[in-house]
Amino acid sequence: MKKRGWGLGCMWYGIGNTGLANPSGAFIDLLNDGTVILLTGCADIGQGSSTVLAQIAAEVLGVEPGKVRVIAGDTGVTPEGGATSASRQTYISGMAVKAAAQQAQQPLLRKAAQLLGVPKEELVCRDYKIFPFFDPQRSVPLQEMIRQCRRAGEMTLGHGWFNPFTTGLDEETGRGSPYATYAYATQWAEVEVDTETGEVTVLRLIAAHDVGKAINPMAVEGQIEGGCAMGLGYALMEELIVEDGVILNAGFAHYLIPTMEDLPEIRAIIVEEAEETGPFGAKGVGEPPLIPTAPAIINAVSNALGVRFFSLPLTPEKILAALAKKEGQQGRREAT
Amino acid sequence: MSPDHAIGKSLPRLEGWEKVTGQCRFTDDLSMPGMLYAGVLRSTVPHAELLALETEAACRLPGVVAVLTARDVPGHNAVGIIVRDEPVLVEDKIRRVGDPLALVAAESKKAVAEALAAIKVSLRELPAVFSPREAMAPGAPLLRGKTNLLLHRKIRKGNVEEALARAHVVVENTYTTPFVEHAALEPEASLALREGNSITVWTSTQNPHFDRGEIASVLGLEQNRVRVVQQATGGGFGGKLDISTQCHAALLAWHTGRPVKLVYSREESFIASGKRHPYTIKYLSAANREGKLLGIKVEILADTGAYASYGPGVLTRAAVHATGPYYVPHVHVDAYAVYTNNPYCGAMRGFGVPQVGFAHEIQMDILAEKLGLDAWEIRSKNFLQPGMETATNQLLRQSVGIGETLRRVKAEVTETAI
Amino acid sequence: MKKQLIQLEINNRLYEVPVNPRDLLVDVIRNKVGLTGTKKGCGQGDCGACTVLIDGVPVLSCITLAIACQGKKITTIEGLADAQGNLHPLQQAFLDHGAVQCGFCTPGMILTAKALLDRNPRPTELQIKRAIAGNICRCTGYKKIVEAIDAAAKEISTGGVK
Repeated sequence: MKKRGWGLGCMWYGIGNTGLANPSGAFIDLLNDGTVILLTGCADIGQGSSTVLAQIAAEVLGVEPGKVRVIAGDTGVTPEGGATSASRQTYISGMAVKAAAQQAQQPLLRKAAQLLGVPKEELVCRDYKIFPFFDPQRSVPLQEMIRQCRRAGEMTLGHGWFNPFTTGLDEETGRGSPYATYAYATQWAEVEVDTETGEVTVLRLIAAHDVGKAINPMAVEGQIEGGCAMGLGYALMEELIVEDGVILNAGFAHYLIPTMEDLPEIRAIIVEEAEETGPFGAKGVGEPPLIPTAPAIINAVSNALGVRFFSLPLTPEKILAALAKKEGQQGRREAT
Repeated sequence: MSPDHAIGKSLPRLEGWEKVTGQCRFTDDLSMPGMLYAGVLRSTVPHAELLALETEAACRLPGVVAVLTARDVPGHNAVGIIVRDEPVLVEDKIRRVGDPLALVAAESKKAVAEALAAIKVSLRELPAVFSPREAMAPGAPLLRGKTNLLLHRKIRKGNVEEALARAHVVVENTYTTPFVEHAALEPEASLALREGNSITVWTSTQNPHFDRGEIASVLGLEQNRVRVVQQATGGGFGGKLDISTQCHAALLAWHTGRPVKLVYSREESFIASGKRHPYTIKYLSAANREGKLLGIKVEILADTGAYASYGPGVLTRAAVHATGPYYVPHVHVDAYAVYTNNPYCGAMRGFGVPQVGFAHEIQMDILAEKLGLDAWEIRSKNFLQPGMETATNQLLRQSVGIGETLRRVKAEVTETAI
Repeated sequence: MKKQLIQLEINNRLYEVPVNPRDLLVDVIRNKVGLTGTKKGCGQGDCGACTVLIDGVPVLSCITLAIACQGKKITTIEGLADAQGNLHPLQQAFLDHGAVQCGFCTPGMILTAKALLDRNPRPTELQIKRAIAGNICRCTGYKKIVEAIDAAAKEISTGGVK
């Protein structure tokens, strides 16, 4: 028989290293053709940090993100960005990049302030123009300001760094503020369980994630969908078999990870509860999507079958064993 | 937001063009004139005293340029992000299957394989321990020092006994989770080039600046003599935070003066790399009649394997997050990371939280069932809000979106209900 | 083992390469021809990263002998964009739809998708999922890959791009 059920999983996740200083730095060079070189220690491992950091630099400088060339993770030229871990790079390296871009644009703002006769604090850069925030029509071209800086012998360079506010944890009580901010999420899973085979099919996943601000919504969705896939693997199939210290399934033939056929419809929902200390309100999203998926799926299976499970991964064998046990108990109850 | 803004735009990734045309260079896509291939001889036993390595026969094979052992490490023969407890090459003690014993650099991959097979290892096996509970028992085989306990992290808030006394319902269960492999699609890889007294390493990594420090320490160089270039990296998920190929490739390049490339096979990637920690979690939750959480008591026992890696960080994070995104007035958490002779465990996406997340979310559903609430109701009564304190007494001031995520998911479920 | 000189036709160009009878196609393409867009993720035919097209059919080049590919038309990821550097609609769709993250599975994924669209220009979602099920992606959760392939199919059938 096939039975359906649904389940919830919620999570929170501290952004950055736990109770430790974990700063990141960045360098910006605004070139005289209006293009930008951004040097960041932040390693983009596929999650898209370079693109996100380029968007942050572009927003500050008022240039197209595609005109920001990102050199990432080269210790010969880039300042330290700390690890690409702890879902920390958008938040921490993002703030470093923002600070570096703001410093690089200072000479331009000074020049433009003189020309426009307004305090430089009232100027914004957007779409290659510098203008008072209250009067966008009265603008000077960004590239012209760069050329004027160069003629005056001024470079447009910036460096910046950011360290999230944290405190250590007390040894005895754990008291402290281990993270400057937290990401939150709720996921919902709908499953169908075949009671003959113990096979679980995940029909639908809905995943809502509070990321503070989605600098790049498509990239955020990509993290959510990818995390759901990994969480599905964690829930139902992934287990490294280790016997006497030896891994018995060291390869993809026997260590199964989700394929396209295992994935259900995933609906990613982005929630933006802006973080005051983050770049344009952003927090992080790399790890959170994996966390609630497994409990949502397991709760859904329990909802379908009326049996609880306490061990991952929830394989068909475990389901069949639990169903047999339940039947046995019911049988005994009926007999008495 | 106006179209002129860069923030909030779904832009395609900057390096996407290179990636869809096959022009993006991952580390194994690089090669250099005179480049040597490399391999690592690894332990096949989990716990042993290494007595000797006979490398002469391997050295004499055609095409073999260097065979290195612990003796050939010019600097510090240990790496590790939190505790430097992992030998670059085993000197005297093997602690896991997969421990690196010797390195080979040769003109071809075939010569590398032949040389690795020609090295004779003599060792004396030691009693090993594979479960954290056994590893904590008196008289257990010790991996190092006087105890196998790597970390005991405590969270204490309020008084859980008091919460239990007042509770309407108490739920206690034991949860177990497995070892998990990162399985990033690109296996670990490094290419090292020595130029005079400097070295450059192109590598697949999540933390190039950490790699720089470790390579410098291993080679006995000042950090500014080492340049680490993070090449396009084919996924990480925490598995490329530890040192893998970086120091080995650097050592071989340092000794041979030639560029050296070391790339793991998939099998070697499985054997050599860190894993997600398996946990055994004893989780007790207490709630009042209305379904408000009063207290939790949690014991997390994690198998951290043979080396510390990120273990202390993972277990600390697990302890801090053990409540889930809920306000809990009374909290008592003990998290233990224990050395065993299993594969070492470290960072993996979620950093110890997916395990406790599994436990606290099943607990919530069971509490709900016992109280006659549904899964939405129990969570709605407990989620964190601005102005509340976490288990570590941190006051949350703003940007606390758990309630909103719950609301949005419920709305989506309702809207799409058939 | 004795090396022999073979001819391989890759992306409409002829390459003459010395190979051993047991050399695998992936290694020859990557190391001898120098086209490194084809990736090696497992070396055992389990992950699909090494997929190339042989006479239009997706083949796992890490378990295929190079010597067996003489006289056949091999297509690698480098052969998809046209001579002017214009991307194939699949490449463009992968880019636009965020179907690429780390990019390591991407070449094999795109080539598998190309073989699908060449024989079935308007596949259903299920047909797309079936066709790609042998290609592992650890990053994306596949959703955007399915969307990209679907979008490319529509682009090709309406735009008439080959």
